[in-house]
Amino acid sequence: MKRWLRHHRYALRVALRRLRLHPLSSLANIVVISLMLAVPILGAAVLQSSQPLARQLAVAPELTLFLSPDTTAAQQQDLLTRLRDQAGDQIAAARLLPRAQAMAQLRSDPTWARALDALGENPLPDALIVTLKDSDAPARQAQALADAWAKWPGVDHVQLDSEWVRRLESLLSFVRVGLGLLGIAVIVVVLATVFNTVRLQALTQREEIAVARLVGATESFVRRPFLYLGALTGLAASLLALLLAWLAMAPLNTLLGRFARSYGIDWTLHLPATPDLLLSGLLIILLGAIAARLSVTRHTRF
Amino acid sequence: MIEFQHVFKSYGRGRNILADVNFRIEPGEFIFVSGPSGAGKSTLLKLVGALEPASRGAVTVNGHRIDRLSSRTLPYLRRTVGLILQDAHLLFDRNAFDNVLLPLAVQGLEPSMAATRARAAIEKVGLRGKEGLLPIELSGGEQQRLAIARAIVGRPAILIADEPTANLDHDSATHIMDVFRDFNQVGVTTLIASHDTALMARYAQRTLHIDAGRFSDLAGVPA
Repeated sequence: MKRWLRHHRYALRVALRRLRLHPLSSLANIVVISLMLAVPILGAAVLQSSQPLARQLAVAPELTLFLSPDTTAAQQQDLLTRLRDQAGDQIAAARLLPRAQAMAQLRSDPTWARALDALGENPLPDALIVTLKDSDAPARQAQALADAWAKWPGVDHVQLDSEWVRRLESLLSFVRVGLGLLGIAVIVVVLATVFNTVRLQALTQREEIAVARLVGATESFVRRPFLYLGALTGLAASLLALLLAWLAMAPLNTLLGRFARSYGIDWTLHLPATPDLLLSGLLIILLGAIAARLSVTRHTRF
Repeated sequence: MIEFQHVFKSYGRGRNILADVNFRIEPGEFIFVSGPSGAGKSTLLKLVGALEPASRGAVTVNGHRIDRLSSRTLPYLRRTVGLILQDAHLLFDRNAFDNVLLPLAVQGLEPSMAATRARAAIEKVGLRGKEGLLPIELSGGEQQRLAIARAIVGRPAILIADEPTANLDHDSATHIMDVFRDFNQVGVTTLIASHDTALMARYAQRTLHIDAGRFSDLAGVPA
């Protein structure tokens, strides 16, 4: 066990030394990977920061069921009862808004009052106002209910008041897919950069590898420093990417905050959760080591 | 113990560098390999050091048939053989001390013990005080001595040297040969390829002579 640890300590020291020997090329590789990594970190920050916002906005999506003019009061009550019976677990509140009351509400707004005077009779239909309970996907749930209720007899039209929440959710889905694709691009960049770095290092260290074999080094001993080199490159790139994302956070928050406030929304960006960051950092380190392993196996056969 | 049985060595489809070589070296022997340039001395040493495989025949070192060893176990055999090749094969970006330390790092020796042994090996070859110098700062002879220090630091059972005194003046050559003899006297089998008839006359217990791939065992007779 101690011997195994000593071998690892030696490999780590050799890897650090090799990084130090070529500071500019090492730094260039780290910067390339970190720039590529910083973009999905910022994307994930937008995504994670937007989710509470979407949830908050969709707390009480409302649906308005406009009824046919020929529905009787009894039929309206039946519809209300049917709503509560069939979707009671999803409904927070449901009430009937008679056309006269709707007209009165509209008339209470002075900007509408004069326009309504010009109309002879009340053009508004009776309506059922349904407020849904909070859920994980409010827009999808509301859309499904609206589609079902629109087919009921006596219902002319269903208006979904959470349409824009659905749009926001669609946008977030788009960002999520975009982040996935970006993640694949990051994986390719990490693999390609580390693979090439290790290839060049293996060529540079050809003599050292030959001497190590001469004195009885196993292939694991020869490969280990390269694996550390890949992992260290991944670690340094992850840390730099995090720093870049953190630095970008302040100006982005100023701009986005101004934009969000213009819509009456209080929205600030924050870095993704620590476990997510740790997991992605570990993934990048692992990818670096894997790329190094692939490269060193291929380029130290001499 | 080193044993060659009907060993042939050729590169590609070229002529045989070694042809039907047979000999046996017992543990603790001090052997010179002599012969003109291009006769196959270096090739023979590389076969013993398991640096190259034989084209035909069996090479047995320390009880192991080299051609039957897997690539995983071969490095462990190499650790029992100290190799000093004509080209010193030093690491030019590391100082003398780190060069000597390499075989011990490969073995995973405890660092303080490794440092003690590396210092002792450096002192043994007369390079004390030059531990911190890079190989490029050493003369050709000193580089050769450094390679010898690296070969002996792992306390090998067999020591193989290809023209180890070629770049050395008479005094240094004698000093190095004394180092080899000291190791031989504590049981290390020593196999040295050399042109130097004076050295052979002085140190050889047995000489193996190769010429154009053909081999003769001049037991106890310096060439």
